[in-house]
Amino acid sequence: MTLLTIDGLQMYYRSEAGYVRAADDITLELERGQTLGLVGESGSGKTTIARSIIRLLPDNAEVVDGSIDFDGTDITELTDRELRNQIRWQEVSMIPQNAMNGFDPVYTVGQQIVQVIRHHEDGVSKADAKDRAKTLFDELGIDPDRVDDYPHQFSGGMAQRAMIALALCLEPRLILADEPTTALDVVIQDRILDTIKEMQAEYDSAMILITHDISVVSETSDRIAVCYGGRIVEQADAATIIKNPRHPYTLGLRNAFPDIGDSDEELISIPGTPPELVDPGEGCRFAPRCPFAEEECWDVTPEPEEYDDGHIVECHRADEADELRSLAEKRETWMDTDEATPTPAQGGDD
Amino acid sequence: MGLREYIVRRILQLVFTLWAFVTLLFVLFRMVPGDPTTRFVMEYPTPEAREQRVEELGLNEPLYVQYVEYLGQLLRGEFGDSTHYREPVSELIFPLFLNTVVLMFTALIIAYTFGVLFGAAMGWLRGSRFERGGIVATLVARSSPEFWIGVILVWIFVFQLGVLPRSGIGAHGGELTMNVVDRYVNVDFLRHLILPALTGAIYYMATPALLMRNTMLEVLKADFIEIKKAEGLPERTVLYKHAARNSVLPLVTVVAIATGAAMGGSVIIETVFNWPGIGREMVASVTRNDYPVAMAAFFLMGTAVIVMNFVADLAYLYLDPRVKYE
Ligand SMILES: Nc1ncnc2c1ncn2[C@@H]1O[C@H](COP(=O)(O)OP(=O)(O)OP(=O)(O)O)[C@@H](O)[C@H]1O
Ligand SMILES: [Mg+2]
Repeated sequence: MTLLTIDGLQMYYRSEAGYVRAADDITLELERGQTLGLVGESGSGKTTIARSIIRLLPDNAEVVDGSIDFDGTDITELTDRELRNQIRWQEVSMIPQNAMNGFDPVYTVGQQIVQVIRHHEDGVSKADAKDRAKTLFDELGIDPDRVDDYPHQFSGGMAQRAMIALALCLEPRLILADEPTTALDVVIQDRILDTIKEMQAEYDSAMILITHDISVVSETSDRIAVCYGGRIVEQADAATIIKNPRHPYTLGLRNAFPDIGDSDEELISIPGTPPELVDPGEGCRFAPRCPFAEEECWDVTPEPEEYDDGHIVECHRADEADELRSLAEKRETWMDTDEATPTPAQGGDD
Repeated sequence: MGLREYIVRRILQLVFTLWAFVTLLFVLFRMVPGDPTTRFVMEYPTPEAREQRVEELGLNEPLYVQYVEYLGQLLRGEFGDSTHYREPVSELIFPLFLNTVVLMFTALIIAYTFGVLFGAAMGWLRGSRFERGGIVATLVARSSPEFWIGVILVWIFVFQLGVLPRSGIGAHGGELTMNVVDRYVNVDFLRHLILPALTGAIYYMATPALLMRNTMLEVLKADFIEIKKAEGLPERTVLYKHAARNSVLPLVTVVAIATGAAMGGSVIIETVFNWPGIGREMVASVTRNDYPVAMAAFFLMGTAVIVMNFVADLAYLYLDPRVKYE
């Protein structure tokens, strides 16, 4: 059953220069209890997409078009009040990047969990709410008595677990995890990810997991969406994205993380800089950095095209993917991109 | 270090600070030119008579004897006799001090309560017309001299509306025979309190309002504010229970300093409203070379600042769980 359907969402930021098209024509689906991985480089719009779901965006953000259907309710149509009372935390909670800063430093972690439970559920006593917090702590491997501690008394990993407890306390149907482990050291990262997965399975919550690291999502996600320049350039089930990607950007991303795919040991990075999001103009936004860009790529914005079941790609050359895939594994392919592309001046400008 | 140890240590520190302060006062007052007899030369027909007076006051003793005697006096709450009024300073000054404390605490409580709420709202609504208007209003209040604010209030409430008394402290305000509660808790006194307290409140409100707004802007950037919003809590809760509650921390220290400053700064308000307080008395005593009174006034104000700082530290301990006892 589908839990979340984002359809043609255009979430833009108003700015002096015009709209910043941070989430441009986003179409996504998420099944109940499943995990969607959102990957892409910094500034590609991952956070914007995720936060649109609970409308937790800066004042200058604006839904220009599209809809977000959460289990039959169009979230873009809700009033702020309805959103607060029906959706936020009750249905959709979040785990931030740095848990230590996610708790208010002047209240104990327990007080903060109790507060949100009692706000959303009528008639729950403080004692009952606190018991629930303790039970969650226990499940997450933290000493239950530590609910009475202040956030600064926790270590980074433990704070992140406490944050997971907070995120789960209302048994939401969707958890937004925005780089939940980047602030932690590598050893703890894996354990926290495992914990999140276990708890998610236990509570049967769906999750949107945001990360820069495609290898992280490959292990934890059912489906992966690759963001580039405010668009989702490719999405499919995790195995397909890892084994049979079709978009050159995904091919490049894969190269940057050697432990997946069968590339060389050495990392190959994608040269160039992210595209301009104000007035990006016609053409594929990845064209200026794409080693395979052709005439058409510069001039015509590629339409999303569905390949096998649910594998959606926005690329003019997606048909030739098998050929490009082997080229993409070679280091030379990613060098001198600028010279390899015809008439770069036509790029992002007009 | 445990909480109790910390508090004990902080109390010892307080005692030491007070001691350093009274010692400094002693030194300062021995350094000023002239002695208490200078002004009343006319009263001593012969140099011998003057000598005798000096002896009575103990001014011919070695300095350390005087110093020990002085500390003893302070501990007993005595400040000697006023050379002007010819009566014990303590009887004279404590009621005045209390009048000032009542006035200034009222003013500061109003100023900080409204200042904090107003500043929090300005920070929350940053970029709005409310915020811009608020900043202008606050700066105007801050840069207006107290006497001017006082005069405007008098003009409105006394001369135009005629609802409040012009000045003074009310029928019982100055009476020392009554106990403290009867003296201050009556309608007549409160009516006299309104205008001077309001003048102080308007003047002192700018600091907490602006400071609160600035810290709010910082605190609002913190991740936990986003999380509290994501939790679906009402805006009011996020604003006051979380954002404002965190922003108020730096103000605690400022309150302590402001209280001390208000004790001294009360002289203008006391003058405009003819309020029998310690600020006016201090200025008068200095011009009269009435050293015992001046010294007592300085002592009380300084002590108020030191004690308030101590209170602020303890309040901080309670308000901010992150404070480490070091
Ligand atoms: N308030 C804002 N006003 C204008 N532009 C914004 C605003 N917030 C974000 N942007 C722009 O929107 C784009 C997408 O930002 P977003 O935070 O969603 O990216 P992201 O993929 O989450 O990046 P990161 O990996 O760095 O977190 C970026 O180009 C960013 O500069
Ligand atoms: Mg982000």
